[in-house]
Parts: sequence; C-alpha cells; structure tokens
Amino acid sequence: MIRSFLQRAPIRRLLVVFGVVAVIELITGPPGSNQYPTSGFTGSYSEAASFFGLFRTQRWVVFLALALVAWGIVELWTRYGATIRARGSSALAGPRQASEKRPVRVGFALALLVLGILLPHILNNAFWQSALVTYVAIYVLLAIGLNVVVGFAGLLDLGYVAFYAIGAYTTAWVTGALPTPPPFGHPLDAFWAIPFAVVFVVIAGVLLGAPTLRLRGDYLAIVTLGFGEIITIFANNLYGITGGATGTKQIPHPVFHVGPIKYSWGLAPVPYYYLALGSVVLFLVIFSLLQRSRVGRAWTAIREDEVAAESLGINPLKFKVMAFAVGAASAGFAGVITASADNFLFPSSFTLTFSINILVLVILGGMGSITGVVVGAIIIQVIQAYLNHTPPSGYQQPDLYIYVGALLITMMIFRPAGLIPSRQRRREINLYEKSHEGHLDEVLLGDDV
Amino acid sequence: MGSFGHYLATHLDTLKAEFWLLFVGGVANGLLYAMVAVGYTLVYGVLRLINFAHSEIFMSGGFAGYFVLRAMVGSTVPSGFTSVLIIVLGIAAAGTAGAAAATLVERVAYRPLRRRRAPQLAYLISAIGASYFLFNLAGKEFGHLSISDPQPYINHTVFRIFGAPVLMYDLIILVVSVIMFVALDWLVGRTRLGRGIRSVAQDAETASLMGVNIDRTIAITFIVGGALGGVAGFLYGLNIGVVYNMGFVPALKAFTAAVLGGIGNLRGAVVGGLLLGIVENLCVVFVQAAYIDVVAFGILVLVLLVRPTGILGERLGRTA
Amino acid sequence: MTADNVFDVEHVTLRFGGVVSLNDVSLYQRRGEILAVIGPNGAGKTSLFNSLTGVYQPQEGTITFHRADGRAMTIIGKKAHRVASAGVARTFQASRMFSALSAFDNVKIGAEDHRGFGVVGAMVRGPRTRHDDRRSDEKTVELLRFVGLADRANVLAASLSYGERRRLEIARGLATEPEVLLLDEPAAGTNPAEKLDLARLIRRVRDELGVTILLIEHDMKLVMSLAERLYVLNFGSVIAEGTPADIRTNPVVVEAYLGTSAEASA
Repeated sequence: MIRSFLQRAPIRRLLVVFGVVAVIELITGPPGSNQYPTSGFTGSYSEAASFFGLFRTQRWVVFLALALVAWGIVELWTRYGATIRARGSSALAGPRQASEKRPVRVGFALALLVLGILLPHILNNAFWQSALVTYVAIYVLLAIGLNVVVGFAGLLDLGYVAFYAIGAYTTAWVTGALPTPPPFGHPLDAFWAIPFAVVFVVIAGVLLGAPTLRLRGDYLAIVTLGFGEIITIFANNLYGITGGATGTKQIPHPVFHVGPIKYSWGLAPVPYYYLALGSVVLFLVIFSLLQRSRVGRAWTAIREDEVAAESLGINPLKFKVMAFAVGAASAGFAGVITASADNFLFPSSFTLTFSINILVLVILGGMGSITGVVVGAIIIQVIQAYLNHTPPSGYQQPDLYIYVGALLITMMIFRPAGLIPSRQRRREINLYEKSHEGHLDEVLLGDDV
Repeated sequence: MGSFGHYLATHLDTLKAEFWLLFVGGVANGLLYAMVAVGYTLVYGVLRLINFAHSEIFMSGGFAGYFVLRAMVGSTVPSGFTSVLIIVLGIAAAGTAGAAAATLVERVAYRPLRRRRAPQLAYLISAIGASYFLFNLAGKEFGHLSISDPQPYINHTVFRIFGAPVLMYDLIILVVSVIMFVALDWLVGRTRLGRGIRSVAQDAETASLMGVNIDRTIAITFIVGGALGGVAGFLYGLNIGVVYNMGFVPALKAFTAAVLGGIGNLRGAVVGGLLLGIVENLCVVFVQAAYIDVVAFGILVLVLLVRPTGILGERLGRTA
Repeated sequence: MTADNVFDVEHVTLRFGGVVSLNDVSLYQRRGEILAVIGPNGAGKTSLFNSLTGVYQPQEGTITFHRADGRAMTIIGKKAHRVASAGVARTFQASRMFSALSAFDNVKIGAEDHRGFGVVGAMVRGPRTRHDDRRSDEKTVELLRFVGLADRANVLAASLSYGERRRLEIARGLATEPEVLLLDEPAAGTNPAEKLDLARLIRRVRDELGVTILLIEHDMKLVMSLAERLYVLNFGSVIAEGTPADIRTNPVVVEAYLGTSAEASA
C-alpha cells in the first residue's frame, strides 16, 4: 500500500526533489571544520535564515518551501514541457536559420570583438579589470585549446594542465627566473618566451601523445592524469631546476621590442587583457579554420568511427597526436601570459583540479562547439570571480568545485552536448542514443523492474 | 660509472638490511591497494568502465570509521575485547558507508546515462563529476586539514619475521583483507549472485535474455566493491588519518594494481595490489620519498603501454 | 605470381588464441576481375578481408598486393591506413558510415589526401589547399552522381535508406581512388530491386572505372550473376575454386552448404 503509493510517478519525483534540495541546502550551508566535523551538517539544516526578507525562520523550513515550489515546476514541466519545447523550437527556427548564414555570423563575431575591446573601459573597476585577465581571458584560451582535444578529436585529456605548466615554466626559464641558466646564457624578455613555450608544448604534446594515444578512452584519461601528477611532483622536488615547491617570484613583465617599436607591460591589468584578447582571437581563428579544414574532417571521422576512418587511409594516431599538440599550443600561450602577468609561479597551481576545471568549461558550453566553449568559459569564470570577490556567507573558495562536480553530472544527464552544442556533436550523441530514447521520468529515477 | 656502482652497492646493502621490514610494510600497503583494486575490477567487469569516483568511496569509509572511533574511543587507548569491538564496528560502518556512497554514485552518475545508452566519454565525465562533488563536499564539511583517527588499539609488535617487526596494524589489515577476499571469492564463484555478476560481465545482452536482472546485478556489484573500498579507507585512515582528498593517490595506485593484475580479473587485482605495494616499498631504498608516487604512475603507464591486459590477463567474465 | 595479379595470398594462417580463423589459405585475384568469396557463416570470409586490408595480422603466410605501376607491397605487418592509401578500399559488413555527417562529407573525407602533415597548410588555405579542396569537392560530386545519390548529397548518412547507405559506402571507398575495392556483403539488408541496382553499380565500377572487385556475398543469385570466378571457404580453408558454373555443380561445395545453410539452394 505504502510501497505502491511511493512508486507513483509524481510521488517519486517529489522524493527526488526533496533529496536534491536537501543536498543543495547542505552545499550552500555553513562550512564545518576538522575540529567540529558535524557543525556543517547541523548548521546547514537548523541555522536561522531569512525567508525572502519576510520573516526569519530555520533554513530547513525555507528549503522545504523551495522544494515544494520546485516540485510544482517539475510536475508542470512533465505535463506541458513537450509542448513548450516544441513551440520554443519552432519559434526559434527562424532566428536559428538566420544565425547560420555567414554574413550574420561574421557580423556577430565582429560586434563581439568590438565589445571585447571596449570592455575594460566599460568596467571601470580595478577588480573586474584584472579579473578579465586572470579569471576570464586566460581560461578562455585554455578552454578553446582543450576543446580541440576533447571536442574535435574526442580524447579525454586529464593532464592538460601540464602544457600550461610548461608554458609558465618556460617563461621563468627564458627570463632567467629559475635556477636553470636561461637559453643562450643570458635572460631574455618574457615576450620571447612565447615561441619557446609554443615549441616546447608542441614537442611535449607529441612526446606524450605518441605512446599514449593508442590507448582506449578511459585508459588514456588515467594515463594523462598520471602524467599531470608526475609533472607536478617533479616541479615540486627538482629544486636545482625548477626552484622546488616555492617556485619563483622573479619573472619580469614582458617587453615587446622589435626595431623602433617598443612596448613594456607593467602592473596595470588592461594591457595584459589586450595581450590575452589578442591571443584568444588568434587561436579562435586558427582553431575554427582547422575545424573546417580536412584536418577537422579527419578528426570528425576518427571520432565517429575509427575503423572506417582508417579504411580511408586516415592514420588515427597521427591525427590524434596532432590534436594533442595543436591543443597544447594555446595552453602554452596561456602559461606565458599568466606567468609574466603574475611575476611568480608555484608548482601547487598546476594540479589535477586545474585540468578538471578547464574540462568543465569545455563541457558546459558544448564539446566541439567553439562558440559554446567561449560562452561557457565566460559564464563560469565570471561567476567564479564574483564568488571569490564577494563571497556569500558560508562560502569558501574550494566550494566552487562542489558546484562544478554537480554541474558535470547534471550536464551529462540532461544536456551532454552542452549549452550551445555544435550541431555535429549533438547529432552524434542523438544518433548514438536513438536506439534507446529516455523519458525524463526514467532518466531521473531509473525503473526498478 | 664508478660512482654509480658505488651508489648501487650501498643501496643494495641497505636493501638487504631492510628487506624484510620494507617487505612487511609493502604487504600491508599492497593488501589495502588490493581491496580498492577489487572495486575497480568488479565495476569494470560488468560495465567496461573505470569508476573514477571510487576514490571517494574509499574516503567515505575513512570518515565513517573516523566517526565511530571518535564516538567510542575515550581518553585512554582501549585494549583487548574493547579494541576488537571498536574495530569491528568501524569496519561495519566503513563498509556500509562505502556501499552507500557507491550506490549513490551508481544511481546518480551511471544509471541515468545507461538508460540513454550514452557514449563512454559521458560516463567518464559524470563519474569525474561525482568524485569532484563528493570530495569537495567532504572538504567543506570536515575542513581541508587532515584529522588523525583516535587509536582503538595499542600498536605493539605482535611477532617478527626474519627480525622485521609485524605490528598490530599490519596484522589487522592482513586478517580483515584475507577474510574479505575469501568471502568475495565465495560470493562471486559460488553463489547465484556471483553467477549473475559473471554472466553480465561475459555478455550483458545474453545474461538479460537468460533472466538476469542487469540493473540489480550492477547495483550489487557497486555495493560489494564499495564495501571493500570503504573498509580499505577505514584501515588506511587508522594509520594516516582522514582528510577530504585522502582517496586520490591510493585510488590511483589501486587502479594501477588492477591494471597490473589484469583489469576485470579479481585474483589479478589481489596479485597486482600485493606486487605494487611491495615493489613500491622496496623502491624507498633507491629513490627519494617524494618520488615514490612517480614509481607507481610509471608502472601504470608502462603496463598500459606494454601489456594492457596485465599479468594474469583480462579474464573478463571469468572473474575469480 | 604474375604481374597480372592484384592479390597473391599464399599459405595464410590466422589464429585468435586457440581458434584458427584462416587455415593455410592461398588464392589470387587477377587485375580487373570480379572475384567472389563465398562460404557459410563463420567460414573466415571477413577474416580474409580484414587480413587483406591490414586490420588483422595473420601469423603465417604472405599477402602481396601488386599495384598497377608495377610496385608490390607486402600487406601483413602494415597498418590498415597504409594499405588503404596504397589502393585497397573496402566496405563493411554492417555499413559503417559517419552517420552524423552528410552524404557529401562522407565521400569528401574519403576523397581527401590525409598523408601530408599539413596543420599549417590546412589552416592557411593557400592556393594549393584551395585547389585540393576544390578537386575533392568535384570528385565527391562526380562520385555521388556515379552511384546515383547526387540528389541526396546534403542528407545525413543516418537518414539514408539501407540500399542508399550501401551505395554511399561504395562511393566513399571509390573516393580514395583505389585499384581494388573489397565489398563485404554489399547486398545485406537490401530489397530485390535495390539488389539489382547494386549489381549493376558494381559492374559499372569495374567496367567504367577499371577498379578490380573482390566480393563477399551471401545472396547466391547476386554472386552467380556478378562474379567471374569464385572461391569457397569453409572452416577457414579454401575448399573449391572456379567459375560460377563449376561451383554450382561441385559436390564438395554442395555438401558444405547443405550441411550448414539453406541459402545455397537459391
């Protein structure tokens, strides 16, 4: 009797919503500590909170109310969702078609570029001006690079941070900030680290990729993760070469000096923003040209059916290594810009966590979709900058990763192709799954037979 | 060359002198790796996927055990029957927590994707998401600093092998893990449940036609692997303490062990775990402590590149 | 071993663990010939195909591919993409299209040269790249017309009918400009009308494009009308060779087929 009641679809959905809301309550609640490891739990549910400014009550009351509202929305969506979606997509069909026309796309891109150039002047605020570089531009650069590997070639690389680290360490080396003597015996400007960094990361990409890219997807993920860890361990411990755990604090600001043209970057963030923006635009152009070239088509072929691709004379290993090396290049760039803008580097900034954060940016926007990845990266990084700048009560910086983890799962369940999916990737996923279309209810709960 | 010869000679002397000491420590570590490796191998057997969230199952067990110890151990270190009772309770709590965490991961990060027959990349990503979510949540609730477990027993030398002391801690690991491996072998090899697991591992399609409930079998596989992983987390925490990201390195090594023994092969996981634990411990003589983890990852990369089927081979479907 | 042969297969044995998939198989194919390999299920036909295309590596024997320019290539030990680039194209039993791509792109990927390094070249779109690109486009259009899919160029491969997919796969294989085309059960799953079209298309591939055809097929009517010579495989060994007329009356073949499959009576 009770069992059959609990198994009715709306009731099951209610229970799921309760569960989800209880978890949200926990992760938005106050933190615990190693001395009081239960205080986070008790505080999350019993602490007093204001109910939309109307009256003060316990947190659990507020969330119970929210859960009921959420349940109502879920029920309405189950009933009318399909109609709303159908109407929405037919209403959007016109604009969508227009947005695929070339002049429209180019115009849109140019408008965004102008906005990008004007942005630091619109945001007349020191924090946001520097956040544009340290939080946004650098991460966009990293995300579009990882997108080449994960999105274009379909390879899960969990050691992407290694290339970023190589870029940063190359900068320190070239400028003489490491215990290792710089190339040609004397320090160079940080600007000259760029060619070195690009060459090094591409070589590292080939060296790392050539043996490992034969492996199956999940093994590749673990091996790249292992490589990322090894790089961090070496950076941490080779005092005589990398400066060890304390890294270095003496990387100079870059200077561009060719012939009569001389420009020095200093402490101000805006010039770095333009350097980063320029790099982003450069790599956006490179990667979208590649995507549309025969190399991009070969990547698609390998991603879809490696055996068939090989039967057409495509060497899968060669193209995978190529994706690895090309994707690494933008990470090398990002490493140079970060190191020279910060003037310091620590091995502890190059961790697995970092690789996964970049992966999240790629997945939110949509693997394989350049526009999606850029938009996704901007959204997440702006939120992160905001949270770090003005943290809500109970929020600590690492809490972000809880949200990131939840986001990864949610995306994989509900929107695996991302917010702004590449048409190609969406089709692939749909076709793959077509044999077994999931109903929302089934997706949420699974059916126990 | 002379200096290298000298290096080798002195280190080989050290190795000779310390061999049994390092060996005992290696076996203890290896058994822990093996308990975690079994979880990877079980899930891999039925789903052909690496459970990236297994490290957090290990961590859940560590914390569950910690809370039992916190509640039961007073200001003095208990002994005798009290010690045994507390350890048994800790193991029960850790196993339950591990199984619960594994079930949660399966329900939330795997099952919905299985319903949709999602591509492999999607599973990897959602499992990484689950891992990320769980360990960072633990960081929020329990702080980001390591907590040492209250000691439920006196860690004295029980007996010696070739002069090397075997501590109470080593003995506990040995007894607990052997019991669990024997039980697991029986469960997978002799019971109806085990037949279900093996048939799904061999060919899920056929198994389902033969009336095996795939969902239930997968859920049970996660529970069994989760329980072992949770207990391993507790035993690990007894010595090292617990912290939100305690699972990462041991899990990566356990995965190495699973691959080393041949992923999908239960006995291989145990052999691989022992082998990795011992080799790694003996390497302490030759490389600095900081590079010990590099040794394990190096072995992983090497095995994957040279012999991805492991020592005992990928006996998929013919587990145990 | 004459220069007129495209394939010389000598004493090839292929094992998987303890299972012998091909057992001391020797055969040859003349240039320009339509040759068929038949045999009951599990006789080793697809294993033979995979050995000829570098997907499987037989433990014993030699496979030589003679190119029209007189050069010879040993296939065993070569990677599949190398064999494909050398001029051996194939289709798959369960057709393996790039389903999320249009018919046009499927063929175009086959038409493109994947050998040069070309990250920079592919990106910059210099005159050479643009020329190559235009040539691939032209070749693609031409081939789609050849197989009768010109009006389906922009349709997703996944939305094509079974027969259309078979023809598209042939076009994709031809796009690599092969000397030999290996067809693995091209008629599987097609209706009688489509089968007729397919047979006509295969003959045109040989007659108009001069491509040698090697065929695995279950449909006896199709094989007998199309092939000029046949090999019969059973349990990994060649049990008979000859013209369709020879094979039809060969008692060994009849025996092998009556024992295992009823299709042979067709």
